[in-house]
Amino acid sequence: VTDRTSTDEILQPTPNRFSGRRLLQNFGLLAFLILNVIVVSILSPAFLKTENILNILTQAAPLGMVVVGQAFVLLLGGLDLSVASVMATAAVLATGFETTDNRMMPVIFGAAILLGVIVGLANGFLVAKRKVSPFLATLATTIVLQGIRFLYTQGSTGSTLPEGFTVIGQHRFLGLPINLLALAVLAIVFGYILHFSPFGRRIYLVGGSPRGAKLVGIRTDAVVIACYVICSAIAAVAGLFLVGYVGQVDQWTGKGYELDSIVAAVMGGIAISGGRGSILGALLGVLILIVMFNAVILLGLPVQVQMILKGVIVIAAAALYLSAGGRNA
Amino acid sequence: VSLVVVIALLVLLIVVGTTLSDRFATSRNFLNVFQQAAGLGIVSLGQTLVVLTGGIDLSVGAMISLVSNFTSGWIDGDPSLVIPVLIGVVAMAAAIGCLNGALTYYLKIHPLIVTLGMASILQGTTLLYSLAPAGKVPPEFQVLAYGRVLGLSVGGLAMIALFVLVGVFLRYTRTGSAIYAVGGDPRGARLLGISVPRTLIITYGLCSTFAALTGIYLVSRMGTGDPWRGEGFELASITPVVVGGTALAGGKGGVLGTLLGVFLISLLNNVLNFLDVSTFYQWIIQGLIIITAVAINIDRGRKA
Repeated sequence: VTDRTSTDEILQPTPNRFSGRRLLQNFGLLAFLILNVIVVSILSPAFLKTENILNILTQAAPLGMVVVGQAFVLLLGGLDLSVASVMATAAVLATGFETTDNRMMPVIFGAAILLGVIVGLANGFLVAKRKVSPFLATLATTIVLQGIRFLYTQGSTGSTLPEGFTVIGQHRFLGLPINLLALAVLAIVFGYILHFSPFGRRIYLVGGSPRGAKLVGIRTDAVVIACYVICSAIAAVAGLFLVGYVGQVDQWTGKGYELDSIVAAVMGGIAISGGRGSILGALLGVLILIVMFNAVILLGLPVQVQMILKGVIVIAAAALYLSAGGRNA
Repeated sequence: VSLVVVIALLVLLIVVGTTLSDRFATSRNFLNVFQQAAGLGIVSLGQTLVVLTGGIDLSVGAMISLVSNFTSGWIDGDPSLVIPVLIGVVAMAAAIGCLNGALTYYLKIHPLIVTLGMASILQGTTLLYSLAPAGKVPPEFQVLAYGRVLGLSVGGLAMIALFVLVGVFLRYTRTGSAIYAVGGDPRGARLLGISVPRTLIITYGLCSTFAALTGIYLVSRMGTGDPWRGEGFELASITPVVVGGTALAGGKGGVLGTLLGVFLISLLNNVLNFLDVSTFYQWIIQGLIIITAVAINIDRGRKA
């Protein structure tokens, strides 16, 4: 039987999580990002133009949102392959309302979040209760969702959407992209939950040592399920923002985001074996990825170089974090 | 136990298929299923080896695309180039696979990340070479997919031969037992004097090689390469492995299960085609099969 006070102590967010190596790591990432920006802007003066920067950020925002959710699952030592399928299904669901009325947007968002919660519950249940490996559980839900989505649309998606989607996806407010502001709000809320709440502390404990977490009386199953629900729900919202950015709905909206979100998170210092990393780091990972992608275009290199670069960087990043004394990435 | 379930499901499918359509239980239809199973079968065979070590290879899809496009692009209809190009692409694939294994071991990076990164590199390279299907292969090349020996498709027979070879390799060679040992208990394996890096390098090398063979088979079937030919195979190749009872955590399972898994999936798609069921339902059913298979086997390994 665990002593009550000591359990509470363990569950207290400890200040050292925002200092030491973590801070160094984030500074390292930031330094790397700045170095990137400097090199790219020397090579291509077009890069630092405000318009270009804002465009990059608008483009990166939906991926950033997915990464925030993916971080919760990765920190547990899990992973979620179903985020892309959730994004596309949320997008298709939105067209299902067949409305152009902006007042319906909250309803559409509500429905999408509900979808995300249901998928997250399924993923979490399979992983926590049935002990299915996260890879297979989320692969299975991906395929099932894909089938349901295509059955619903019979292969061709609708295109009726409120004008508001374009506004949240492409427009600016006070000079800043609206979807970037939404990402900022999301990141602050969920960053706070992860880094400053007892629940967040439990996530790190479960990810770092599932058995240890159980021993101190944490209901690990509940924590796992909650994280999968958060991840899917955020993915559904990101799907709607992506629809707004792209301007149209597609059966495959968000395709590739499942792997890109993992790549960005790993680049940002999250260990896929769980227990190590932060939201801030993961978002810096997104920025580094996007800056490099933009550099490839600005330097007039073939787009395919982006893919090669992405592959090299994710392996290099994972190796680097390990040599810096981290856990198995 | 799980193999019995898979066999029972196979029998059930055959019974259902037979009652559904006169054309189902014909040798012609079965030969078709057999022929179509070859592509998925060979790549899943390689995936089985990697999964047995407790790893995963997400680069097989990109490898198939790469091999598919380069084989047909380099041969470009010239029969005299067939043999050198085939040797070249298989050697290249084997080398890349060995690199996957080496990176996994020496850098201690999770194989998921290594092979995910590698997939991105390979797909990028393939698309740099050409964005559209490149080249073509001489008609003789299509013997692989459409040729018949004793009435059976050459590709299908090659798949069976490879499964038998790998089955023997796993059971009767030191490296074969090393693969199980590394997956089951890496530390114990080391104590037994097994070289973990050597085992991993060989395993990932074989996996990429088998992916390359699937790529070559698909070129033969289509008559041309395609820079996206392998898309989806990275995940599709895992389904038969898991359905066949090999645990993602490693150390348990084998190639017989995978072969049955491949036939189960191929036959299921065939039956659903007879039922005139859309691909959409096929996806749903495939997803449910994964969940069911895993729930039966209860894959307790919590590895990604």
